[in-house]
Amino acid sequence: MMAGLTDFGPDSGGRIKGVTIVKPVVYGNIAKSFGKIREEDGHTHKWTVYVKPYRNEDMSMYVKKVHFKLHDSYADANRMVSKPPYEVTETGWGEFDIVIKIFFNDPNERPAVTLYHTLKLFQPGPDALVAKKTLVTEFYEEIVFQDPTALMQYHLTSTKPLTLGPWEHETNFEEKKDKTLQTILSAKNKIRHEINDLRDKLKLAKETMAKFKAEINKIQVGNTMQLV
Amino acid sequence: MADVRDILDLERPPTPEITKETILGNDKLKRKPIAPKVSKRPEGMHREVFALLYTDNKDAPPVFPTDTGQGYKQMKAKLGMRKVRPWKWMPFTNPARTDGAVFYHWRRVADEGKEYPFAKFNKQVPVPTYTDSEYVQLHIDGWSRAETDHLFDLCRRFDLRFIVVHDRWDRTRFQSRSVEDLKERYYNACSILARMRAPPGQEPKMYVFDADHERRRKEQLRRLFERTPEQVEEEQTLLSELRKIEARKKEREKKQQDLQKLITAADSQADPRRPDKKVNKKKLPHQVRPRNDSSNSVETAGIKFPDFKNSGVSVRSQRMKLPASVGQKKIKAIETMLTELGVELMPMPTEEICQHFNELRSDMVLLYELKQALATCDYDLQTLRHQYEALNPGKTLVMPGSISGGNVDEGPSSTQDTEPVRQRVVSEIIDVVGSPGTPSGS
Repeated sequence: MMAGLTDFGPDSGGRIKGVTIVKPVVYGNIAKSFGKIREEDGHTHKWTVYVKPYRNEDMSMYVKKVHFKLHDSYADANRMVSKPPYEVTETGWGEFDIVIKIFFNDPNERPAVTLYHTLKLFQPGPDALVAKKTLVTEFYEEIVFQDPTALMQYHLTSTKPLTLGPWEHETNFEEKKDKTLQTILSAKNKIRHEINDLRDKLKLAKETMAKFKAEINKIQVGNTMQLV
Repeated sequence: MADVRDILDLERPPTPEITKETILGNDKLKRKPIAPKVSKRPEGMHREVFALLYTDNKDAPPVFPTDTGQGYKQMKAKLGMRKVRPWKWMPFTNPARTDGAVFYHWRRVADEGKEYPFAKFNKQVPVPTYTDSEYVQLHIDGWSRAETDHLFDLCRRFDLRFIVVHDRWDRTRFQSRSVEDLKERYYNACSILARMRAPPGQEPKMYVFDADHERRRKEQLRRLFERTPEQVEEEQTLLSELRKIEARKKEREKKQQDLQKLITAADSQADPRRPDKKVNKKKLPHQVRPRNDSSNSVETAGIKFPDFKNSGVSVRSQRMKLPASVGQKKIKAIETMLTELGVELMPMPTEEICQHFNELRSDMVLLYELKQALATCDYDLQTLRHQYEALNPGKTLVMPGSISGGNVDEGPSSTQDTEPVRQRVVSEIIDVVGSPGTPSGS
């Protein structure tokens, strides 16, 4: 892996134009209730916030570190994780926003991209505390590398699989993707239809307006003629 | 006082005194006031120091205090410095009088024999006279010779004070005339006379009295004066209404200009899919692409998402952020429509979804704008119709039913048949804020 670096040298910062590499990731948190309030600190849940590759690959090739910014009430709220799995496990009693910064292995690249995740501990709905099973709240995201440097391109394209076994997510993103796309497309269709209708109406309205104006003109001219 | 003027560096302004001389205007005798010339304060010398130097007589300042003078006070008023001018009881005649009556008054001896000073106020207004032969030219219908004579006589007597002339008009002998009638007759006669007497080939200067204008002016004043409080109030209301109407009109005209732009935008937006066949629907994704090329010309409508062509790393969901140019109302409308259509507010950011989602929202904004424009049009049409009805009572203009009310009825179109209910839901739920909500009466 280090051999790769020397191949390109420090001056290999030139970008490769027209190349776009997309790295899909999944980020979010899982949470599990203790089923009771812990006496020492009042915590109720054990949770893990994470960033993981969508596909089965070792992100450490291009990710230098991931920075999780927790709530200030945690001791050492800034957590750095420099190798997979990129995750932080903690216990707590409340939900808050976590800022996740991903740093890359490229000195020429913008240092980081930022994701925002609101930690979810409680199941929505009435069975909020009853639920014993693990609550998963995760989102799909794509990191887009536009015109990467040669070095970065090398890193991005020479990833190895993370595990030999199957790589699966709690959420079926493929299905969700298809469903979302279908909804959007049909919505779009509907909107376009209405645009057409409205446009026709507008045209008609404009024509009618011209007609009305002509009529009024005619009468006004007629009236003046009568007066004269 | 002198101190204040010193501070402000002002000279004493000459107070115009009203004396007999200034009234009568014979200021030959105007005497120079014996004012001691004020010596100018040297530059840089303090006012207080200069004030110490200054004395009434411009003497050199005393070196040490004395008690010989009267100090700062003039003990006696210096009256009677000039010779006494004697007065005399003497007779005088007033040239304004025709009877030559002699009266007596006190007068300075020096003024003896001079003309009575108030005689100059006896201004005479020249009122022309005419001979019998000249009157032939003056004759007009409605005025007899006797009446004209009476008029000129009164004019001479009252120095053209027509109000007085009108008051003294002999209503027993002649018919009652208005001030304007009198003036008209008088000035017409005068100008005819002037023209007759002018040397040939020369147009004399004439006073033209526009009696009609004068009558209208007085009538207008009379009406203005005789308005009742209710009428004044009504006028105020009407004026403010007018201002409102004009403001609205201006606003609508501005919207009208945007309308054509919008229609053009809608055309280019919708044309790739214009055939009404439903079958095309499923293939839509592939057909949408060309729209992107034409989107440059459609900047006014829809949303202009920034291009993400810059090199570097970014997160895909960033591209779904609405640009800051989209206003709150539009964002609200978009969100309402998305919820209505069951689309997530932040869907999964794949490339394809991103693109379609952005296009969808752009279309939504266009739809919103069209709807707004249509509301304006509808309002305009109502206004025009009312205008027509006002101009032509008993008749009306028929509005095409499909414009207002949101009913899609361009005949039995295919769009309606396939999706009868859901088709018109979305734009219905947009609340086009600020649109005049006049329900259609057609």
